[in-house]
Amino acid sequence: MRKKLLRTMGRYRAQFLSMIVMIAIGIGVFVGFNVEWYTIERDTASFFEKTGFADFRVLSETGFSEEDRRAVEALDGVSAAARWLSVNTMVKDDADVLALTVTEDPAVSGFLVTSGGAYDAADAGGFWLSDRYAEANGIAVGDGLTLTYKGLEIAGTVRGLIKAGEYLICLPDETQLMPDYTAYGFVYAAPSLLERVLGRAFYTQINALSGLDKTAFSERVDEALGRTMLVLSKDDVVSYAEAMGESEEGKTMGGILPVLFLGIAVLTMVTTMHRLTASEKTQIGTLKALGFRDGRITRHYVSYALTVGLTGTALGLLLGWLLGWYLMNPGGPMGTYLDMDDWSLHAPPFVWIVLAAVNGFLLLVGLWSVRAMLKGTAADSLRPYVPQKVRSLLLERTRLWDRLSFGTKWNLRDSLRHKARSGMTLFGIVGCTVLLVGALGMKDTADAFIRLFYDEAIRYESRVNLDAASVSAADAAELSERYDGDRLAQSSVQVDGAFVGVEVYGLRSGLVRFVDTDSNFIELSDDGVYLCRRIAEAHGLEPGDTLRFSPFGSDKSYTARVAGTVRSMTESVVMTEACAERIGYPYVTNVIYTAETEIEADARIVNVQTRQSVLDSFDTFMQIMDLMVVLLAVAAVVLGIVVLYNLGVMNYTERYREMAALKVIGFRDRRIGRLLISQNLWMTVLGVAVGIPAGIGVLQCLLNALAAEYEMALSLGWATFTVSTLLTFGVSLLVGWMVAGKNRKIDMVEALKVPE
Amino acid sequence: MTVVRFQNVSRVYTVGDHEQRALSGVDLELEKGKMIVILGPSGAGKSTLLNLLGGLDSPTEGTVVVDGQDISRLNRDELADYRAAKVGFVFQSYNLIPTLTVRENVDLVREIAPRALDTAEMLAAVGLADHMKKFPAELSGGEQQRVSIARALAKNPEILLCDEPTGALDSETGSAVLKVLLTMARTYGKTIVVVTHNQSIARIADVVVRVKNGTVRSVEKVASPLPVEEVEW
Repeated sequence: MRKKLLRTMGRYRAQFLSMIVMIAIGIGVFVGFNVEWYTIERDTASFFEKTGFADFRVLSETGFSEEDRRAVEALDGVSAAARWLSVNTMVKDDADVLALTVTEDPAVSGFLVTSGGAYDAADAGGFWLSDRYAEANGIAVGDGLTLTYKGLEIAGTVRGLIKAGEYLICLPDETQLMPDYTAYGFVYAAPSLLERVLGRAFYTQINALSGLDKTAFSERVDEALGRTMLVLSKDDVVSYAEAMGESEEGKTMGGILPVLFLGIAVLTMVTTMHRLTASEKTQIGTLKALGFRDGRITRHYVSYALTVGLTGTALGLLLGWLLGWYLMNPGGPMGTYLDMDDWSLHAPPFVWIVLAAVNGFLLLVGLWSVRAMLKGTAADSLRPYVPQKVRSLLLERTRLWDRLSFGTKWNLRDSLRHKARSGMTLFGIVGCTVLLVGALGMKDTADAFIRLFYDEAIRYESRVNLDAASVSAADAAELSERYDGDRLAQSSVQVDGAFVGVEVYGLRSGLVRFVDTDSNFIELSDDGVYLCRRIAEAHGLEPGDTLRFSPFGSDKSYTARVAGTVRSMTESVVMTEACAERIGYPYVTNVIYTAETEIEADARIVNVQTRQSVLDSFDTFMQIMDLMVVLLAVAAVVLGIVVLYNLGVMNYTERYREMAALKVIGFRDRRIGRLLISQNLWMTVLGVAVGIPAGIGVLQCLLNALAAEYEMALSLGWATFTVSTLLTFGVSLLVGWMVAGKNRKIDMVEALKVPE
Repeated sequence: MTVVRFQNVSRVYTVGDHEQRALSGVDLELEKGKMIVILGPSGAGKSTLLNLLGGLDSPTEGTVVVDGQDISRLNRDELADYRAAKVGFVFQSYNLIPTLTVRENVDLVREIAPRALDTAEMLAAVGLADHMKKFPAELSGGEQQRVSIARALAKNPEILLCDEPTGALDSETGSAVLKVLLTMARTYGKTIVVVTHNQSIARIADVVVRVKNGTVRSVEKVASPLPVEEVEW
């Protein structure tokens, strides 16, 4: 029986290979994306723990005293608290920005030294520099480094290279999508250096380790410090929120794509196993007649499913681990985003349960297929399998039917007679189109997003960040006048307890423009505030409604009419200076947008960020995007070829006698080939017609799930539809041509000898 | 008038290292408009003879000339065209297309046969005018074979080739089918070649060719063939 197993698998190699490939791809994608998100979760958690990533940050622009810190640390539920400072400084004689960070307690919001000397709190001349920034800029341990901040020069020597949990995702602000270590990094210094430069200890944050929830922690802090404080939980911090976002995205990808592949794999298995056992019905009868028990025959046929399942699972695990490794390694796509020390791969425990369940299900498929053929006596089994009876179609009652060619009628009836095979073919084509539309549409959408926001909405060359603590309204006016720029004042407020940003714009040069939800540019009205799409949706606010918000650390609240909704990368409320003045909301300009590229050194200017540096950071993002597009397109083509070839061979096998009869009657090989291809083409027309809207739907779901924070709008160009359609038809034609070529090998004499 | 001429025809099949000689140096001439029965036991080479004549297979040696055309050296497409124009097949297992109705099964030859006859007329002639919209699975074996005959004749071929046409039928139905076959062939002036191992069928033939071990043992002209009704098996 083992020999029979191998020979049968050899005979139906196309079907077996396609089942194994589909299961391997399905399991590979499932394992790969699940390994990705679980690895992010596990490795970042371990990294955060090792670096003492803070659970809460208490913020104050005027700084905290040691008493404040002690009061926070003494709170019930707080295990440690440290004063902490992070300011963006410029590297001297360079446009690079480094976040200079000081923690009073290296166990809280600290770092891991990857090379060089250990941290020394008493070292007043040492820097511990981001190893990624050092690598990107050719800096080594022992090199000197001079930073400038508000006209101050801070000089020191690089003692060690590090990684820090607080900078797991190292972004200067929310407008930048990907880290760019050539232009932005972070550096830690000891408190003694800070005191040497400033002449005093000045910290704007108290970072705390605590298992409390945010509300309880906030209440206790407010009570301990005697005022309402702005508290950020780790969910409000880019590094944690984005890492968890990536993990969620992995979960979504691990849920959507594998369902498609595994669904097709299992359906292919159901169809193929049924066909296989049906075509072996007389052999099953022979085995019964020879005296083999039903149980033995069942075990034999179930072993096909088991072999396919286990081989596919083994290959899938290998593929999944490779995909997981590819995504999650320091040099891979995630490595450009996350900066952590350990990249060990982990799979969530449920993966093993799902793999066992898939194999169990495949066994049931095998069991179900053979059971149907084992019914009745040995004589019953010896009778060949009779496919479903042909029934007349409704279309046959119309005149159109008489006008159809023989080939169309033949294909139409065959498609309806073998519904499972036709359905699977359609499913494969729809899947292929969905993946292509999804992949190319994702690229279109990202291109349109970047074009809209960074080519059209943003017209400035430099973003000049001011020191809000020392810049007066007159200073801001003078600087914006000098650089002919637009002004921005950023602050944070609470809306229904949620933390959101407020952006007050003084627009005088048209360097910053706003886009409504239909992607049209709009002029901000002074009559009300504009909400980004996320805030509008989260709070159920529409134009004409009233928004109430209150700044942190203040009992005051402000109300304003909602004038409209804008698409924004930052989760914020947008208004003009005139509107802010009208509702009495105080603001301090901290950014000037200008078309100038030469910005003079000024004590009021903290740093300057160029538009080019933001655009450069997209290069990596777009490279990853291009890679995803290629991967998905390849997956689509593989899916299409594997599924269609398997079903094409099945179609060919089932119609072998019919084709032999046509050949005997006098049909040429090419003519019969065209009949087979035309069936594929009709299915392709139908599949593309369903696949395009389905692809748009899937893409919209993916955008909502994966990129809600960018407020991207779906944007698909004609090229996407054209390429998706042409590629799908190309795959269909290629497979049709491969299968049609087989009919040359039909042995008419042998084929027609077999009894019906 | 000779319509078929086999000249020193051999057919050797190679299976692995083993050569199997199905026909060996066959010389045979068949006359137009006759009912010819090729008789022989299983494995005698009679089906090979029929397949060569029908253009389903090509000889290893020798020539097969049908209606003045040497078909032994034709390529695949030329053989397909030959089958479409010159010969009609009737098989033991009917080989109808199950997804086409009776009418469509006969109609499909119009796609390839240059001199196709009217489908309705053919079906009426075999007594199936009322079954045109049925699918093959809805017909009895005898009825299916009659559809097969109608399809073969609808091409208006020179020769009708029948491989055990009554092999799957009971005596009564087989007799009815043979009657239809003969009537149709004579009405439309066709040469009929029937391959069978059934000695009884030979009694209705004009010519009986006996085949054994890949060679033609005898060609016997029957002076007065029996009417189909008088033959039983």
